[in-house]
Amino acid sequence: MPEATRPHGIPGSVLRGPFPVGQYAAALRDRLRGMVRVQVFGEVVGFKAGRAKVWWELRDGSGALPCSMWRRDWDALGLAGLADGVQVVAAGGPDFYAGSRTSSPGFSFAVGDVRVAGEGDLLAQLAVLRRKLEAEGRFEPQKRLARPVLPRGIGVVTGEGGKARDDILAGLRRRGWAGRLVWAFAPVQDRHAAGAITRALQDLAALDEVDVVIVARGGGSLMDLFAFCDETLCRTVSMLRVPVVASVGHHTDRTLIDDVAAVSCSTPTHAAEAAVPVHCADARERLHGLGARLHAQGRRAVLERARTLAGLSRAPASHVERHRTWLHQQLREVRASATRGVAQRGHGLDAAAAALARGGDARTLGTRRRAELDRLGQLLAAHDPQRTLERGYALVEGPGGEPVGSAAAARSLPRVTLRLHDGTVDARPVEDTG
Amino acid sequence: MSDLLPPEPVGEEPRAAAATYETASGRLEAIIRRLDSGEAGLRETLDLCREGRELVEFCAAELEAVGAGLEELRLEELVGRLEAGRSG
Repeated sequence: MPEATRPHGIPGSVLRGPFPVGQYAAALRDRLRGMVRVQVFGEVVGFKAGRAKVWWELRDGSGALPCSMWRRDWDALGLAGLADGVQVVAAGGPDFYAGSRTSSPGFSFAVGDVRVAGEGDLLAQLAVLRRKLEAEGRFEPQKRLARPVLPRGIGVVTGEGGKARDDILAGLRRRGWAGRLVWAFAPVQDRHAAGAITRALQDLAALDEVDVVIVARGGGSLMDLFAFCDETLCRTVSMLRVPVVASVGHHTDRTLIDDVAAVSCSTPTHAAEAAVPVHCADARERLHGLGARLHAQGRRAVLERARTLAGLSRAPASHVERHRTWLHQQLREVRASATRGVAQRGHGLDAAAAALARGGDARTLGTRRRAELDRLGQLLAAHDPQRTLERGYALVEGPGGEPVGSAAAARSLPRVTLRLHDGTVDARPVEDTG
Repeated sequence: MSDLLPPEPVGEEPRAAAATYETASGRLEAIIRRLDSGEAGLRETLDLCREGRELVEFCAAELEAVGAGLEELRLEELVGRLEAGRSG
């Protein structure tokens, strides 16, 4: 700002200045930033997140500070957000935004790090551990295990004398399941119980008699549930070869074992039902139905085929019967025609007798017929193979006496018979080496 | 490309190796469907019926095992019993 536009100061004032406000604001900012950095604690009020920064007020009974934090620093903490009333410790120092002609200035306590204290502290730790286990893929192995639909043995880890026990029994009763139930009672109240729960789970999973394990607790405050957020316990569960059904947390306070288990249920009764997916009474009924259908199918298959076979076996008999009827018919007709023939021939003989009597040329007739027969005989003889053989030819026959009509056919036979006009000769075809 | 695929899991699968109710009942359903289709010949039908009867018996035995009556015992009892059985 040019020196010429600086107004005069207030008459009579002993204070320095006047200074341009921007200059003073920048000096103030620099002074505040130069102050020693500290940790302050209080309750959070009015947390809100922007694109570049997050803001909240930190209050206690005697005062408050507006706090701000760069968004990237906040995100690095891995906290979801801060609810009103949550106790936090904030580390940082005062800062001043000098503003401009178009933007308002603002004071804030610039926070570089935050730790959530009290119950909120545990929640924050839980969030960090949850992200860590998830990133390592520890939530998956249990979900990939095959869960038996009809376990013979179920292991249960729960507190002795708790309501969870009765709820589980009720759930199993509802399923109609009455197999072997192995109880592993463990303290489930505090975070020191984690070791006992872990051992109980390992012991149950080591038994061949146990096909699935239920870990149940009938609720409680979040502090009570922290045993089920123990890192060792959760890692152990994720490595077990037996599926674990968890019923520990509430829908509001989800524990880590709910995340790593194969299934997580809201109540122990549901956990029991999840451990036995099949309703046993229904399954028995269905199995009975399937057995009956199987029996009916087998029976039908055999009966249908038996009927077909019977039909087929009747077919030749009925064919023979039809043929017999036809033959009888033929026979009757033959008899009838024979009778007629004799009668007609009778007439013929009478006629011949008459001719003879007339001294007709019956002899001439006989000679003519003989000559005709001789001619037919010679024709027949011309086609007789024997005649051909007599002329020096030979007939090649196979082992069954069938004629062998080609060289290829002869080569395929181990031996052949040569039929000559005066007898047979056995011969063995040899491969033509030429 | 094959090196992009994870290796096949190896090693014993003690719990998966044995016949289970779910595999048996699943196979039984498949057999019934095949028989209902009417496409199976006599030989296949008889073979399927035989296999099916065995499966029904297996499933019935499994259901029987969890229907006989609830047996409740503590982990220590079972472990003690198993150890006694092993030494005796």
